[in-house]
Amino acid sequence: MAEPLWIAKTGLDAQKNRLSTISNNLANVNTTGFKRGRAIFEDLIYQNVRQPGGQSSQETELPSGLTLGTGVRTVATQKLHQQGSLLQTANQLDMAIEGRGFFQILQPNGNIAYTRNGEFQVSADGQVVNSAGYRLQPDINIPANALSVTIGVDGTVSVSQPGNPVPAQIGTIQLADFVNPSGLQSLGGNLLSETAASGAAIVGAPDTLSFGGVIQGSLESSNVNVVEELVNMIETQRAYEMNSKAISTADQMLQYVNNNL
Amino acid sequence: MDRMLYVAMSGAKQNLLAQAHNANNMANVSTTGFKADLAAARSMPLFGTGLPTRVYSMTEREGTDFNHGAIQSTGRSLDITIQGDGFIAVQGKDGNEAYTRFGSLSVTSTGLLETSHGLPVMGDDGPITVPEAKRIEISADGTVSTITQTKGAEVVDVVGRIKLVNPDLKNVFKGQDALFHLKDGEIADADADVSVLSGGLEGSNVNIATEMVNMIELARQFEMQVKMMKVAEENDEQASRLLNIN
Repeated sequence: MAEPLWIAKTGLDAQKNRLSTISNNLANVNTTGFKRGRAIFEDLIYQNVRQPGGQSSQETELPSGLTLGTGVRTVATQKLHQQGSLLQTANQLDMAIEGRGFFQILQPNGNIAYTRNGEFQVSADGQVVNSAGYRLQPDINIPANALSVTIGVDGTVSVSQPGNPVPAQIGTIQLADFVNPSGLQSLGGNLLSETAASGAAIVGAPDTLSFGGVIQGSLESSNVNVVEELVNMIETQRAYEMNSKAISTADQMLQYVNNNL
Repeated sequence: MDRMLYVAMSGAKQNLLAQAHNANNMANVSTTGFKADLAAARSMPLFGTGLPTRVYSMTEREGTDFNHGAIQSTGRSLDITIQGDGFIAVQGKDGNEAYTRFGSLSVTSTGLLETSHGLPVMGDDGPITVPEAKRIEISADGTVSTITQTKGAEVVDVVGRIKLVNPDLKNVFKGQDALFHLKDGEIADADADVSVLSGGLEGSNVNIATEMVNMIELARQFEMQVKMMKVAEENDEQASRLLNIN
């Protein structure tokens, strides 16, 4: 019926999506390895009401036409894979990646998921697992009598055992990287999965090629910037209010017609 | 019956179209790189037998406001803003070259440099492909370089240069795909004077206060047209009453 109503409605939808993204970022301000998201908007197609350059008579043509925009839509919520700051925890199995790359986690369904969250623990049978109990890949088994675990910047895991002055190497952590990390799908639980948009995982040793180094005893904090999110929130709220104002104005115009004619 | 009713009706219709226009600008108040559309009304006198007393109005999208939006810093190396005038050349959905100021770029799984809407960014010779790298940097003249690390040493490779153009704005119009095109389907030449800044995005240039005032003005104008319709109705009523024989 009335275009302004529907156009303003697309504006409300878009701002609502943006607020969801901001709320999610704010809620995850203390989530280890969390990457903030950003809503991306695009103006919708334009409708041609009157073609510019159309003939207004046999000899004259319209100098400019009328094309009406049809509003806005959210095209993507893009994950921004910027480095979060590193926090010292001194915990032996806490790891942070300085640079690109993801830890590989074996999900219960047999698929590999990827994460930047380096909070690892040891399971009852000595496996290195994440906080949900899923195994880090490739498998690393820590002997029961290990006194301490050392993880090198290149991912080498070694343990020192009683009666042996030389540390024994028990495995190597390998990282995965993607051409387009923003294309990874979030699974929740700090896990991401590969998609057609991200490209296939490229697996390699830390601190080589494009891979970042592994830092033991540190965690990567969330890369959410609280001040920026709050400013975004104010902007979103005002834009929402404005669009609802446009709806009420269009409503009043139609009401006036109904009441007066 | 007085034809004034129709003049008022066309006025109200055009006001509603202009309001749609305005609502579109307001809906895009936070769309990156959006340029506000300018609406204008034109009087269309109608000539026929008798005096030319009927003047209809016509709303037009007169053009686009090419003023720059505010720059929002994001710190992401693949977010670029154009400093001053100019556009980034992209490949539109129809395969032809189109122009935009939307500078949020990303690399697809096949290594193609695209805008976040999925339009390939044009280089000097076609779309740009970026190999797997540790970092991707875009310099002020649009040169895309990758930084890879081999055994401690960082290697910088130039992989292409984003085509930046600065055509005469008189020839630029916004197409139905919401991208900018040149009149008659021409292709703009790359301009070395256009510079970009990495790490920020250009916000929408919609002026909220102007749009709100426009909205009020159009709403009141619309009410006036409806009032005129009401007057036309009353006039007709009076006229038919004159003919009543009591």
